[in-house]
Amino acid sequence: MRRAPRKGETVFKGSKILLVEDEESLAVGLEYNLTREGYRVTRASDGKEALECFRSLEFDLIVLDIMLPYLNGFKVAEKIRERSPQIPILMLTARTAAKDRVKGLEIGADDYMVKPFHLRELLVRVRGMLRRKEWYRSSVGSAPSVRLGRNEIHFEEMTFRSGERMIRLTPHEAMVLKYLIDRRDKVVSRKELLENVWQIPGHVETRTVDNFILRLRKIIEPDPANPIFIKSIRSAGYMFTTGK
Amino acid sequence: MRKHQSLQYILIFILAQIAWLSLLGLWIYRYFSINYPEAGSAQPHPMISERANVVALVGGLILLVAVSVGMSLLFAWLNSQLKITQLYDNFIANVTHELKSPLASIQLYLETLNERRVPRQKQEEFVRRMMMDSARLNTLINSILEIAGLEQKSAAYCFEVHTAEPLLRSLVEEGAEQFKLPPERVRIVGSAPCRCVADRDALRIVINNIIDNAVKYSTGKPDILVHFKCSYKNLVIEFRDRGVGISAKEQKRVFEKFHRVHDSNAPSVKGTGLGLYWVREIIKTHGGRVSVSSEGKNQGSVFRIELPIYNTAKKRYVNRLLKVTQRRRRETGSEEGGNGVQGQ
Repeated sequence: MRRAPRKGETVFKGSKILLVEDEESLAVGLEYNLTREGYRVTRASDGKEALECFRSLEFDLIVLDIMLPYLNGFKVAEKIRERSPQIPILMLTARTAAKDRVKGLEIGADDYMVKPFHLRELLVRVRGMLRRKEWYRSSVGSAPSVRLGRNEIHFEEMTFRSGERMIRLTPHEAMVLKYLIDRRDKVVSRKELLENVWQIPGHVETRTVDNFILRLRKIIEPDPANPIFIKSIRSAGYMFTTGK
Repeated sequence: MRKHQSLQYILIFILAQIAWLSLLGLWIYRYFSINYPEAGSAQPHPMISERANVVALVGGLILLVAVSVGMSLLFAWLNSQLKITQLYDNFIANVTHELKSPLASIQLYLETLNERRVPRQKQEEFVRRMMMDSARLNTLINSILEIAGLEQKSAAYCFEVHTAEPLLRSLVEEGAEQFKLPPERVRIVGSAPCRCVADRDALRIVINNIIDNAVKYSTGKPDILVHFKCSYKNLVIEFRDRGVGISAKEQKRVFEKFHRVHDSNAPSVKGTGLGLYWVREIIKTHGGRVSVSSEGKNQGSVFRIELPIYNTAKKRYVNRLLKVTQRRRRETGSEEGGNGVQGQ
């Protein structure tokens, strides 16, 4: 089962990518490869320049190094997220520490690759992220927000409102919610979620999904231990119901 | 060196232990000599108990001071070790970054060449970039390995008597060329007709590191003014740059091992925190001094190196350096001392 708007890869040709990398050699190589894939690449070599580019131009995706002069990648990602919760960010870094990875994803990077990386893998991930963004945009367009009892999820702003309280959702959280809500009252398997939202083969790391669902429940469920919205279906996956 | 130091602290620890045990013994002795006077005599001899009191007071005080001094020394040492461990973690993170970046780039170009049809001209460019990256890797690996040699002090060096000016001039010019700086960006003024004892390769590391810093911490195009001067006893070399400068607080610390300045205004994040440490170690081994000053933020900084003039200052120390090198040359036979400290 694949999500609906799959119009072939050519759809993403001409997508605008902001490449932020201070190592000139690596930046030139990446630019060459991304351009050969048909993307339009703008290069920035430090944090300040990256934000200037981001403010003055429109982009579909950002490839972001972490160790940058002036303003590091984490800070850049934070600033970008303040203005645009939806734009996909791929973090690229030489740091391998788990805490960096977690920090990157918490700030709202969509994906994280450690240097040295494989060219093919990078290109696959970039394509996956663009595809995901496209799907999210088109499916949000039809239903920008959903009410859950007294709460509301706003997909365009990527926020969850519960009375006075407002929680910012990461792109992943919003996408998983969107995917489940679009298929409400139907069982969605972990494999399906992995393949369509994470864009990785479904036979690896199904636990990722479980941990993720736990986090989501903490946000949206009144009582995370007894979920009423996201229900676990034994040996099948998860199902979203409107809490009847 | 480090082994020697930790032995010293083990000794301090043992002495402190002995001191407090003696203190305990002394007090027990005093207690018994007052409360249980020797059997036989009907009452304690006033002279004896008086003496025991004085001994217990004075001796006890001395021992107490010894214990507290010993403990403070140990505490200070432990503290400095903890700090070094922390800095070391930082260093590992920095080196990881420095090693992985060129590696990532080489891998990217190899995969590109392997998977795509790349036009001839681009191929040449990619190969050139890969060679640059591998040279960078080589430099970094060498410099990490060399630090062990540098820490062995004078043994690894190759000291010779040089006339200062031609030596320094050629080293500065080589450095400028290595960082691709045109001559007008690295100007040399002053003159230094005096003689000094130096290891050419080690001084090259010093000069390259200082130029490298000036380049890294300049916001625009780097602009370096090198000034030579022979004072009464010392040869003085000053490097004045127009970079971001160094705050007064950081000036004291930039020469520390693994220390890196964290300044969000600084344009560069590259580095291991070893460069200026080597500079200081090398100059120290030469019998000289290095210091830094800065007028403040964005006012640039001045690195000042002082080396003793041959046969004028620190005669005994400098002659010993020459002797060590001569002895090593004799030992290694006709092999010329090119196996010493390699340039960057």
